[in-house]
Amino acid sequence: MLPSGVFNRRPQQDMAIIRTRAQWLLLAGGLVFLVTLGLYAPGHWMNWLILVGVYAIATLGMHIMTGLCGQFSMGQAAFMALGAYTTAYLGTRYGVSPWLTLPLSGLVAGLGGLVFGIPALRIKGFYLVLATIAAQFIIIWAIKQQTWLGGTYGIRDMDKLSIGGVEVAGATAEFWWLTLGLVVIMLFIAKNIQRTTTGRKFVAVRDNDLAAEVMGINLFRTKLLAFFIGCFFAGIAGWLWAHNLRAVQPELFSFQLSLWFLGMIIVGGVGSTSGAVMGAVAIMLVDKAGPSLSTAVQDAFPSLKYQVSGAVSLIMFAVVVIFFLLIEPRGLYHRLERIKLYYRLNPFAY
Amino acid sequence: MDAVLAQGFLNGGVYALIALGFILVFKSSGVLNLAHGQAVAVLSYFLYYMLVVWGLPAWLGIVLIIPLGAVLGVLMERLAVRPLLGQPFLSVLMMTLMVSFLLEGVRILFWGADSFTLPFTPRQGQGWLGTVLPDWINPSSALAFAVAMLVFVLLTLLFRYTKVGLSMRVVAADHEVAQSLGIRVKRVFSISWALSGAFAAMCGILVGMVFTVTPIMGSTVLGKGLPVLLLGGLNSIPGAVVGGIIIGLAEALGSHWFSAAKEVVPWIVMLVILLIRPYGLFGEKRIERI
Repeated sequence: MLPSGVFNRRPQQDMAIIRTRAQWLLLAGGLVFLVTLGLYAPGHWMNWLILVGVYAIATLGMHIMTGLCGQFSMGQAAFMALGAYTTAYLGTRYGVSPWLTLPLSGLVAGLGGLVFGIPALRIKGFYLVLATIAAQFIIIWAIKQQTWLGGTYGIRDMDKLSIGGVEVAGATAEFWWLTLGLVVIMLFIAKNIQRTTTGRKFVAVRDNDLAAEVMGINLFRTKLLAFFIGCFFAGIAGWLWAHNLRAVQPELFSFQLSLWFLGMIIVGGVGSTSGAVMGAVAIMLVDKAGPSLSTAVQDAFPSLKYQVSGAVSLIMFAVVVIFFLLIEPRGLYHRLERIKLYYRLNPFAY
Repeated sequence: MDAVLAQGFLNGGVYALIALGFILVFKSSGVLNLAHGQAVAVLSYFLYYMLVVWGLPAWLGIVLIIPLGAVLGVLMERLAVRPLLGQPFLSVLMMTLMVSFLLEGVRILFWGADSFTLPFTPRQGQGWLGTVLPDWINPSSALAFAVAMLVFVLLTLLFRYTKVGLSMRVVAADHEVAQSLGIRVKRVFSISWALSGAFAAMCGILVGMVFTVTPIMGSTVLGKGLPVLLLGGLNSIPGAVVGGIIIGLAEALGSHWFSAAKEVVPWIVMLVILLIRPYGLFGEKRIERI
């Protein structure tokens, strides 16, 4: 909804993602803030920022698959692993340029998604969830079995990324800028998928797949496409993560991580592109607060001698998601929209 | 080979019992309770705690843990699932997952990475059961199988001959019809969650006996229960038993031939079944209308 006095005079205005001057200013300010963050943020926040970027890309994939098309996936981490292993293996074994493996990682993950997405044509709901859980376990198990992928040890000592002679690796400002750039590009792609024919087809399939089929949408194609795009995003996220750590190992891509992505889209708001990023940031902020809370818990109850930090981060994640499910089921995005609407209409109620 | 097949067959009984806990809830309230695995783990850790730290006798611990499981089931239904009545499928599924995270967190806080053997586990060559059975049969598996079959028969009798069972069947068929016939649908939900919780406690005892109580117990239970559930069909009780035995045998044979494949055989069997018969061996095929 536009503020009073602002009209769309041309179709381009109606289609624009960013409509008013204030929004342009906010965007520019926000980007400048995020870019300069790389210059003064301390090391551990740098790591955190990059991880948020990686997770945000994977969550955008989940958003397309689950939020738009309604095809639940609990195997996103495994598809990330496919992307990460593609670039790690080709890079260390054959010396393929990482920039060449960027689209390749996405493609491999996407193809993996297609293989496990084919049952999705016939099944939905619980059955689909179970099939994707199976994908998670089978893919990670298969990776662990391969000696040429390093088994449980994984692949270490990947070459550093370089852009025009500048080395980009680890928790540095350069890597953060690369992450930020990728996130912005993927966000743009996701947003545009959402508002074109494809995205509308996805939404139609989500809302009622039988009705969508009756209206002439090719269910098989649409569902598989959603799987492909969602897993493609996961592959890109995996590529980025692999180059950040310069090592991959199967334990990184756990079932729990897949569930984190689901939690992120729920916290952000199901079905909204920016919500996916907001959810990733929110969940990761909570996770960042984990260590301090767990030391507090440990100080308060010294009798708990076990892995308090692991338990506390699990419990915190669960509590946050439960809070959103019960109190704010439409997520952060919806709340933000409500706040914006309130200030736009103030002092009137509507 | 005989030993492998026998062990797989007996394990199948335990898997069936795990799957029954899911089916009871799914049949009546249409919720796939992913917290079941962690509930099993928490209950069996608590049982061990009662037996060893409080020093209760084994029979008293078993008598106490089953009602406790039922209480846990009712609490989960009341506090977590009922507020989400009528919400989309993803919300309810996520809620049960988050409950499982909570349970796991609590378990880690109190018991960490410890693993235990339940003190009353029957052993080979010891006690009555250990000497009667031939030595290629694991007595704890045999006992677990016997209990699972007994529970299955009791459950069938409950559904067929009692009023509670009848009302659960009506609710499973249609909530609105059940309500208009004067059945308290919400109470039936509570009863089925309580039963499922009691099943979780029983699974905790039996799985703890067969596989020992370990930190990965929750995910093991989930990893065995879900394929069985899908193979048999989400709402079929005989399906769970048949599915459990099939998965048990497939797993035993699979790990006999490729020892590394033990953990994924159930999932692969499940995916194949999904491709051939998407609604499981005994599940009802849902006919949807727009």
